[in-house]
Amino acid sequence: MTSTMIAKETESRQPTAGRRSIFGNNAHRLAYLFVLPALVLVILFRIVPLIWGLGYSFTDYNGMSTPTFVGVQNYVAIAHDPVFLDSLINMLILLATLPIWIGLPLVLAILIHQGVPGGKLFRAVYFFPAVLSSVIVGAIFNMLLRYDGSFNAALKAMGFSAIDWLGNSNTALFSLIAVQLWATFGMSLLIFLAGLSTVPSDMLEAAKLDGAKLMQTWWYIVIPSIRPIIEFAAVVTTIGMLTSMFGLIYVLTAGGPGTATTLPEFLIWLEQGKMNRPGYASAISMVLFLMMGGLAWIQIRIMSKNADL
Amino acid sequence: MKATNRTLRAGTMLAAAFTLAIGFAGTASADTTLTVWDWKNGDPVTADYYAAVKKDFEAAHPGVTVKYVMQPHDQYYTLLGTAISSGQGPDVVLLHGGSQAKERVSALTKLDDKVADIKGTVAGWDEFTGADGGLYAVPISIQGFAVYYNKDLFAKAGLDPEKTPKSWADLSATAEALKKAGVAPFALGNKEGFGADFFLSAVAANGWTKAQQDAWTKGDLKWSSPEVKAIVQAWVDTKGAGWYADGANSTAKFMDEYESFERGENAQTIGLISDVAHWKEFDEFLGADKVGVYVMPPIAGGDGSLKLPLAGGIGYGVTKFSPNQDLAADLVKSFADTDHMKIFFETAGAIPANTKVDTSDTKSPSAKVILAWLSDGVPLAHNNMSTAEVEEWHRQSQLLFTGETTVDKAVARLDDVQAQSKKK
Repeated sequence: MTSTMIAKETESRQPTAGRRSIFGNNAHRLAYLFVLPALVLVILFRIVPLIWGLGYSFTDYNGMSTPTFVGVQNYVAIAHDPVFLDSLINMLILLATLPIWIGLPLVLAILIHQGVPGGKLFRAVYFFPAVLSSVIVGAIFNMLLRYDGSFNAALKAMGFSAIDWLGNSNTALFSLIAVQLWATFGMSLLIFLAGLSTVPSDMLEAAKLDGAKLMQTWWYIVIPSIRPIIEFAAVVTTIGMLTSMFGLIYVLTAGGPGTATTLPEFLIWLEQGKMNRPGYASAISMVLFLMMGGLAWIQIRIMSKNADL
Repeated sequence: MKATNRTLRAGTMLAAAFTLAIGFAGTASADTTLTVWDWKNGDPVTADYYAAVKKDFEAAHPGVTVKYVMQPHDQYYTLLGTAISSGQGPDVVLLHGGSQAKERVSALTKLDDKVADIKGTVAGWDEFTGADGGLYAVPISIQGFAVYYNKDLFAKAGLDPEKTPKSWADLSATAEALKKAGVAPFALGNKEGFGADFFLSAVAANGWTKAQQDAWTKGDLKWSSPEVKAIVQAWVDTKGAGWYADGANSTAKFMDEYESFERGENAQTIGLISDVAHWKEFDEFLGADKVGVYVMPPIAGGDGSLKLPLAGGIGYGVTKFSPNQDLAADLVKSFADTDHMKIFFETAGAIPANTKVDTSDTKSPSAKVILAWLSDGVPLAHNNMSTAEVEEWHRQSQLLFTGETTVDKAVARLDDVQAQSKKK
């Protein structure tokens, strides 16, 4: 390559004032090109429906007749809807279990990372349920948890009374949470394992040489090292808890008994799919969207704050 | 090389032009396709019926193709709502009689003029009649709630298998006898609240007067009124009296409850007369001579006669946005045609809405009893509730079983929902 060619090549890569457009230089344009398909999909299937949903939430739309603008009437109705309020309480109970959703896979990931015998097998076993659809998981646990199912058969064999796991308000929601946790914690476990692989081994060795105990190593070295990963997992898990329980609720409890397992996402389906009130369902969707957005914002703020430290 | 490229390019353009031309020509001369949405046509037991309707209709209407699209039952009305709101999709749709049909009349074509010739021979129109008195779908089956019982288990409990309860006191005595013999009197699935729907309609059928049934339909008969509250109270009392197998709130009515009955684990169940969970299905599992059927007696009231609570079960309507209104109306009538309905009855065991279907060669003792009841039925109460009211009854019925609410609180809540629905 001659010096003239090199100069031309270099020139072509330099952004020049004359060739600059709103899309920047060639490299930027290429980047936009790569982003474009995803952007179009997000706009078409996320942003546009979101805006439509927002519009419908201010109407009395019933899925058939022309929607009529009713102002904030749906939002006022939501505030007085006992079923929605019950679903919010259920949601708060669900969110209160977040530490278990994070703690359990974290502890297991650390144990696997530290070379517990059979670690690879455990990793595969723990992750396996994550590839199953919620309907399949629901069908499996329906057989196990139903009144005449395997769990109660085992309890009876041990001399205990049967429990209506899914038909009793005191146990139904916690049964659902336990099943969803079983089905999804493998994903968090993999995320934590990926994070743990970045913890410097010399730091762990140094701690060992300094006589640090196992728990001290975990608490002072491992967990702080993967803190951003834990926070990321917390955000993703929270969103998953609020938006991915539908299949399980549908199959296992249908939202009952009463409203014991009705979460906002299930109520949205109920209002839209069974009660023919897409306008009202859209308003609940907007409220859920704002709550999730708020939670994610708080968590991301905490993450950013910690990243600055 | 350039010549080759030119040749290839020209060839490609010609091929494209040819394809387009064929496409346009094809479109211009395309057959008319009537798209039918339902949740039944893929069911093996209905295959002959749907094949016959398609074959005969296409033969009678050259150039017309009937296209069946089976949608999942549990998502059906969500999908239909989307089609209706977008103003495109099926020409013909299957609907459940009652609130599901009535709440969608604005999207359906009024069929009065088109079905005038079959109105007298088909029964069950009320469930597909709009508030304006117009007919919006043609019923193909009659649906009703009957109590099926296992004759062997009745005999085991020392009961006469041919003698059925005629009053609430009889029913209570029957339940006691069955319990003493270690048999659960009733199978019950109320996970989705359907068990409570069936109980309400079955018990109300012969206890409410015609005026009370009409008032119920209009939303004027309150849940807190003595007639309705007595049924809600009976729901709780029968649970307390041990009429049902444990775990009703976590048992699906379709089909866990019925499978349990078919396995002989419970003596009785409130079942349907068409579609599923009906005489044909129970005959197949328990043996036709082992299945008995009777009408649920009322708690109180009534004139002593026991009439079957029934209604137009399911029916086909024409969507307003269908571009083929006349053809679609003809197809809808074809579904209710006597010959087709005969196949529907014989293969699927559905009680046909067409009263001209010859059912005299029926072998099933239960079916014979049911067919004899059809001429004089009473309304299905839960069919005349708004969907909001139905959903709330589902919830309250479960809470009444868990003891988290009382009858007074439940009926007060249901009164509120009923009043709100009426306002709309």
